[in-house]
Amino acid sequence: MKHVYGWLLLTPAAILLVGFTHYPAAATLVDSFFSTGTAIRPSRFIGFGNYALLAEDPIFWKVLGNNLWFALGTIPTSIALAILMAVWVNDRLPARALVRMAYFTPTVLPMIAVANIWLFFYTPQIGLVDQFRALFGAPSHNWLGDPGTVLACLMVMVIWKEAGFFMIFYLAALQSLPPELEEAAKIEGASRWHFFRRVMFPLLMPTTLFVLVNATINSFKLVDHLFILTKGGPDNASSLLLYYIYQVAFSFFDTAYASTLTVVLLALLAGLALVQFHLVEKRVHYR
Amino acid sequence: MSEIVLEEVSKHYGAVRAVDGVSLRAAAGKFLVLLGPSACGKSTVLRLIAGLEEPTQGRIFIGGHDVTRLEPDKRRVSMVFQSYALFPHLSVAENIVFGLKVRRTPRPEREERLARVATLVGLTEVLARKPAQLSGGQRQRVALARAIAAENKICLMDEPLSNLDAQLRHGMRVEIRALQQRLGMTVVYVTHDQVEAMSMADRVILMRQGRIEQEGAPEELYAQPATMFAARFIGTPAMNLVALADGPRGATIRGAPETPVLAGPGAGRVLGVRPEHVALTGEPGVPGSVASAEYHGADTILEVRVGDETLFVRAPGRRELGPGARVRLGWKPEAPHLFDAGSGVRLDLNQTLPQPA
Ligand SMILES: Nc1ncnc2c1ncn2[C@@H]1O[C@H](COP(=O)(O)OP(=O)(O)OP(=O)(O)O)[C@@H](O)[C@H]1O
Ligand SMILES: [Mg+2]
Repeated sequence: MKHVYGWLLLTPAAILLVGFTHYPAAATLVDSFFSTGTAIRPSRFIGFGNYALLAEDPIFWKVLGNNLWFALGTIPTSIALAILMAVWVNDRLPARALVRMAYFTPTVLPMIAVANIWLFFYTPQIGLVDQFRALFGAPSHNWLGDPGTVLACLMVMVIWKEAGFFMIFYLAALQSLPPELEEAAKIEGASRWHFFRRVMFPLLMPTTLFVLVNATINSFKLVDHLFILTKGGPDNASSLLLYYIYQVAFSFFDTAYASTLTVVLLALLAGLALVQFHLVEKRVHYR
Repeated sequence: MSEIVLEEVSKHYGAVRAVDGVSLRAAAGKFLVLLGPSACGKSTVLRLIAGLEEPTQGRIFIGGHDVTRLEPDKRRVSMVFQSYALFPHLSVAENIVFGLKVRRTPRPEREERLARVATLVGLTEVLARKPAQLSGGQRQRVALARAIAAENKICLMDEPLSNLDAQLRHGMRVEIRALQQRLGMTVVYVTHDQVEAMSMADRVILMRQGRIEQEGAPEELYAQPATMFAARFIGTPAMNLVALADGPRGATIRGAPETPVLAGPGAGRVLGVRPEHVALTGEPGVPGSVASAEYHGADTILEVRVGDETLFVRAPGRRELGPGARVRLGWKPEAPHLFDAGSGVRLDLNQTLPQPA
């Protein structure tokens, strides 16, 4: 009898989960083995046909490369910044609450709003960046229009947004460290840097792992800003994997190919998460 | 070379006077205990000596040098924290040699010191473990080992035994004292447990609200409490302090006018007598009635009502005295202490004898 009640209680959640998560995931996987159906030609099984297509799609490789650079450029920097800010904000400094809030503000802004703000920064000639450069007589530059600078510009913006968010986790972790540890280290003659490297950073490892996984997922998941800033352009120079999937599915209406891309993205993320857990766990100290 | 001197040291946190004009001297190679109730400023004094806090006023000397503004790592003191402050991600061995590594002690010497200290505190078996895998007593020893490994002549300890159970506490008390004597360390030891203070100290400083109430050898504090506060703080059960009243033949206990307990006036004075110095006697003892009796094994603690006051009596062995039993109490002439009821300051017993005409 107990089982019945248990299942009854689980049913509403289970229906939602199956209906909106598990079924679509499975359907995506199945779809990736079929061709896209049209009014004239119905969808049919083509095995790994879509995957073969993908392997030869230069845009896919371009976008994947972009995404890897994007992850590499944003994750370590935002984590390092987050730790730095957390340590700084954790100290007894005047107006500490204000500084904390200032660092956290970008996080509460929606990505769309952030993108709009940064659009003003990057606008040629009248944007903040160009205005500032003009002070030194530097020529105006189309930051978002230049394939050479567009990805870097996006990275800076995402770091700005993410670092404050990760800082909160580090701050929470720092505040759970007993202050006697630092005092004990001080008495033993350890410098602040030594204490950070040998005690604080290792003790922050669980947080780092958590943040690392989140940052990685975010770097593949967060594409809202592309809609505002670049639409993936110019010439796909700033397009990311998820944005490309969106384009394939809803601009080109190639649902089968979009499914294939999605499967690849999911496999990639799962693989990364596994590797991270495995690598970092060896060096993580769990209490 | 490892003498610690505080000159009129104060530490204020806003309006709170955590430490208020404390002067003290911890002689080299001696065991000094800072004793006092919670929030009286003991830890703050220790942290001032360690350099973790800067004094608001006053000066601190270690080994004759003024260290008032010196960083903690330059003071060459070790500290055992109440919470041990072990690094949870480092093994016992790494915890012990943490400071040696910081100070770049050569590896062979480091290993040698580690082995020696580990043997000393009995940790050789568990050197590879993490602190979380140790018992409370073992953690305490790691903290102690880390302090000893630095080979500083001064060791500060902030209630290091407060987290341990009674039995372990007794064992560690003996060990710490033995270690201090063997290594000739100057130890400043903070506790609110008067048993710890009495059993370990060469000298005890009793603190109260940021000030020094009394300073002396343990037996001095026991035999000559300077104030009612000191009298109450040292000894278990605490000293009986009973208000006196004037009587026709001398001072009497309030509410029991028949039997004088002291010559001279009584009003405004307080009589102190330790439970272990009160005996059950016959006539002409002070009459009272038993309120309760608590058997402790070696002795029985009787709560006796005398007039308006209550006295505790430590009577040897088991006493079958139910509530309401009539008893008479007596003590040796040198046993009582006398205090001024207003200021709480100790009065000389002789002053209360009748003046010759
Ligand atoms: N950082 C601080 N800020 C403000 N007040 C403090 C600070 N540290 C201590 N105090 C105050 O100073 C007084 C003495 O504190 P201290 O820690 O020295 O007491 P203690 O004698 O060690 O007590 P305990 O036996 O409970 O540890 C207390 O009233 C405490 O509230
Ligand atoms: Mg304390």
